[in-house]
Amino acid sequence: MRTLPVADPGIPDARGPLRYLWWVARGQGSTMLAGVGLAVLWWLGQALVPAALGKAVDAMAQRDADTLIRWSAVVLGLGVLQAVAGVMRHRFAVVTWLSAAYRTVQVTVRQATRLGATLPKRLSTGEVVSVGNSDIAHIGNAMDILLRGTGAAVAVVAVTVILIATSVPLGLVVLIGVPLMAAAVGPLLKPLHRRQHAQRDLQGDLATRAADIVAGLRVLRGIGGEQVFAARYREESQRVRQAGVRVASVESLLEGAQVLLPGVLIACVTWLGAHFALEGRITPGQLVAFYGYAVFLIAPLRTLTEAADKLTKGHVAARRVCRILSLEPEITGGDRRSGDPHALPGTLRDGESGVEVRPGRLTALAAATPEDAIAIADRLGRFAPGDVTLGGTPLAELPIAELRRHILVADNGARLFTGRLRDELDVRGTATDEDVRQALYASCAEDIVAALPEGLDAHVAESGREFSGGQQQRLRLTRALLADAEILILVEPTSAVDAHTEARVAGRLGKARAGRTTLVCTTSPLVLDRADHVLYVEDGVVRAQGTHRELLDGAPGYRATVTRGEG
Amino acid sequence: MAREILPVADRAQVRAYARRLTLKYPRELGLALALHALAAIAGLVAPRMLGDLVDGLAKGRADLHVDTVALAIAVFVAAQAVLVRFAVYASSRLGEKVLAELREDFVGRVLALPLSTVERAGSGDLITRTSRDVDALSRSVRHAVPETLIAVVTGAFVVGAVILVGPVMAVPSLVAVPLLWGATRWYLNRARDGYLRENAAYADMTEGLAETVEGARTIEALGLEARRRARTDRDIARSFAAERYTLGLRMVWFPAVEFGYVVPVVATLLIGGLLSIEGWVTVAQVTTATLYVQQLIDPLDRLLSWVDELQVGGASMARLLGVANVPDDRVAGDARPVGEELKVSGVRYAYREGHDVLHGIDLDVRPGERLAMVGPSGAGKSTLGRLIAGVHAPASGSVTVGGVPLAELPLAELRGHVALVTQEHHVFRGTLRDNLLIARPDASDAEMRRALEAVDAWEWVAALPEGLDSAVGSGRTAISPAQAQQLALARLVLADPHTLVLDEATSLIDPRAARHLERSLAAVLDGRTVIAIAHRLYTAHDADRVAVVEDGRVSELGSHDELVAAGGAYAALWDSWHGTAR
Repeated sequence: MRTLPVADPGIPDARGPLRYLWWVARGQGSTMLAGVGLAVLWWLGQALVPAALGKAVDAMAQRDADTLIRWSAVVLGLGVLQAVAGVMRHRFAVVTWLSAAYRTVQVTVRQATRLGATLPKRLSTGEVVSVGNSDIAHIGNAMDILLRGTGAAVAVVAVTVILIATSVPLGLVVLIGVPLMAAAVGPLLKPLHRRQHAQRDLQGDLATRAADIVAGLRVLRGIGGEQVFAARYREESQRVRQAGVRVASVESLLEGAQVLLPGVLIACVTWLGAHFALEGRITPGQLVAFYGYAVFLIAPLRTLTEAADKLTKGHVAARRVCRILSLEPEITGGDRRSGDPHALPGTLRDGESGVEVRPGRLTALAAATPEDAIAIADRLGRFAPGDVTLGGTPLAELPIAELRRHILVADNGARLFTGRLRDELDVRGTATDEDVRQALYASCAEDIVAALPEGLDAHVAESGREFSGGQQQRLRLTRALLADAEILILVEPTSAVDAHTEARVAGRLGKARAGRTTLVCTTSPLVLDRADHVLYVEDGVVRAQGTHRELLDGAPGYRATVTRGEG
Repeated sequence: MAREILPVADRAQVRAYARRLTLKYPRELGLALALHALAAIAGLVAPRMLGDLVDGLAKGRADLHVDTVALAIAVFVAAQAVLVRFAVYASSRLGEKVLAELREDFVGRVLALPLSTVERAGSGDLITRTSRDVDALSRSVRHAVPETLIAVVTGAFVVGAVILVGPVMAVPSLVAVPLLWGATRWYLNRARDGYLRENAAYADMTEGLAETVEGARTIEALGLEARRRARTDRDIARSFAAERYTLGLRMVWFPAVEFGYVVPVVATLLIGGLLSIEGWVTVAQVTTATLYVQQLIDPLDRLLSWVDELQVGGASMARLLGVANVPDDRVAGDARPVGEELKVSGVRYAYREGHDVLHGIDLDVRPGERLAMVGPSGAGKSTLGRLIAGVHAPASGSVTVGGVPLAELPLAELRGHVALVTQEHHVFRGTLRDNLLIARPDASDAEMRRALEAVDAWEWVAALPEGLDSAVGSGRTAISPAQAQQLALARLVLADPHTLVLDEATSLIDPRAARHLERSLAAVLDGRTVIAIAHRLYTAHDADRVAVVEDGRVSELGSHDELVAAGGAYAALWDSWHGTAR
């Protein structure tokens, strides 16, 4: 069996959903072909059982023990064939399903990392996450049903040929009856899907309600409101129940139809067959065989109905994947080399605001409105286009990857990833234990690690939700410091920590970043006081600069911003 | 994966609960079972008639009523179809009813969880139970339970029919029983863990994808592209390994079972055929029995393929029921507080044995005063806040209100005395009004407005097109974290306890706005005791007294001016913050 995942998923053909599905199928062509072959064998193994059974019954009627034994052995042989081909088919189907799903995950992740900051602007999270939650399964199902469906089609054809060869009218009954049966349940499918859809929506709402209760449980248990919420949940739960019953009423009709329609066909075949048998045109055993064929045909027919459904869903899923795959990053880099990678980069300058970040210093930026600081940080880090130069070179001319290595923007929207805490802090994987210890010290995060039973080996849960807001912020700061970028731009790095801690962080930050370039966007006097140089921005432009104390004395707007209107 | 903190119910509890639930609606259950049984019986007619027909043909009888037989088959098929329709409907209706009851019970149990558990456990484990386990159980109740029931009923009738045809005809089928039994046992012993691992690995993979998407900007900023790709490939490799294991199980089980299905057919045919040649049984009996045995495959297959789903459902049920096993943390006494004075004396507390967070704290809070608590993170401020709010009982020492330990007050009584608002905030799905009424269901619009004004929130609420009736919560009108904190505080104003513990309750609000909010809140809360765990120093500056908490002890206590004059740690902090000296 091939080992998954493949090292390189390749470049997907995202020009359209069918092309994408074809690309996925082609990538595992041999597996799929083998799977189709096995599926055909498996179905044929089942389809031929009635014939052998009929022969055995005839032998019985003629009291011919040898022939009976021979045909019983054939039934057994067909059973063994079914069992072996069936399990092998299953194995190929699983591999096909998985490799289609995995490959889609791989190309989606690769695309998400390629899009980077562009992604949240162009797509809602839900849209991409649904790739993981449902689309990959639908694409996998589409591949799987191709195998099974082909086999089923071959089986239907084979049985029809056998029937026609024995008796044209019988064959025609089956040939016309089978598609008729498939079409007859059609009208039920639409209302069924509509009701299932309504049920799923309500169920989704109910799940959201439950999650809402759990997330706000602290509040509910703290100040009350349990009764109200329990009642509301009950109400919605009953609505889901009613929707479920509505689905069941159509679903049960469908189940009934799936008994009735083949049943009628079986009755017809039996009736015709019995007449032929009476007339001596077929043997009693062949009558049994006809009955068996009619019963058997139910299964491949269901598979074919299933195939139509799954291929449609796979197509829709592939369209969503294609939409994601065809996006392009908004910000593109140039190809200019910045020269010696070890040289200290020069001054970082934003033309629009006049902000200048000089090399090797700790600069602070206090903006009268927080949005200004964020916009400037985004331009300096080239997350937004702007007239920014680094040592005189326009940022737009530098390759993005190189630029990101030099300049790191760490804001409060940054996310902690799941994994071992130490790995998630030292994301570049280059820090020594001493580096980690020092970065934790600088960001006052030692107590967080100390409180974890496993310390740095602890597992970070999804987006670090088991840490409080202040703890997450300090851990993010640790991570930013460990990344050791030549230019570090911190946006409100201490907004969620208490004054004591903030004072410590402010005192330690300068030392941790000694000799490197740092810009801190903050309005905290504790931090501003420790900066080498402070810029005051109002209406998007630098209005004053100097040290914290100079500005306190000389710039009334600055004073008002940092002391919060307190005299 | 979330740590499992809450208990899990044991096997006996799950069984007792399932039994109670099964027998709760005997009429509905009886009806569903009866309908399924009748449907199964109707389905047994065709093979029998065919058998007789074949027998007659073999004997060359001329008096065969072929048309009548075919018509009878059609009639019974129609009857079976109608019965199946009503049987499926009846059992689905019952299933939906039971399922609704199950999930409502669970949410009821969640809403009754002890306060200390809620505060400590974090939401990870509970969220998993609410989403994944409820889903898994739904699948079981909707599909696995009825399918197995139908399979058992149908199977039993088919076996009964074979015995009716001729008891001796049932014997050959028995050869397959040991094979099916043994293979399935072997499989089930391994399957559950295998599938749980498989699902967990698959969930890790899709969560990893979600994380990559949500953190796309962070990934670009920190240059984590290669890491994320490697992580994805690693997740996939793990998922594949888990899939391979279960596939391996099926590679053994499937062929064994399929072989187990075909052997009875062949055995019935061959042994029955040989017996009929000997003249011990008729051709009709053999044909009918063979067709019946073939017909048995379907229910048998359903039964076997749903058994493991039943196991998963059982495991989920154990986790859902387990929530009720959390012991109640409050042993309410009869004493009721006299007065509003809060007294903390000699309090120690530890989350883990031997790791004291608080080392003997004494603190008298005067009724109506504003006390600010400051100190570095991890010093124990929040823990002390929770003890003062009566969430946890101290390990030693006491926290009393009006002379009665807080932990001995019933929850409803406690809420009337003291309430805690933390920096964690939550906006419930519903209207803004719903979000406020939690605290006091009978509050009038005017009272709500007053509460919102007290937290500087009326302005933006009034500006919303639908005002108090605006729909909020995930996916509706966006509420910023700062606004959410305002709502939490407004709730507190409505609840109106005499003592409030605010644990960094304004930390997400813009500093300048926060100060204004705290001042207007103070005006409304005049006469109430407020203990504010302060995040910014002006809160301390505005308070009547400041307690500096360091290393689980109160190191300084006094008014702002006194502490500044004393020249300790607080004074140093204040100076650097305020920029007045150095």
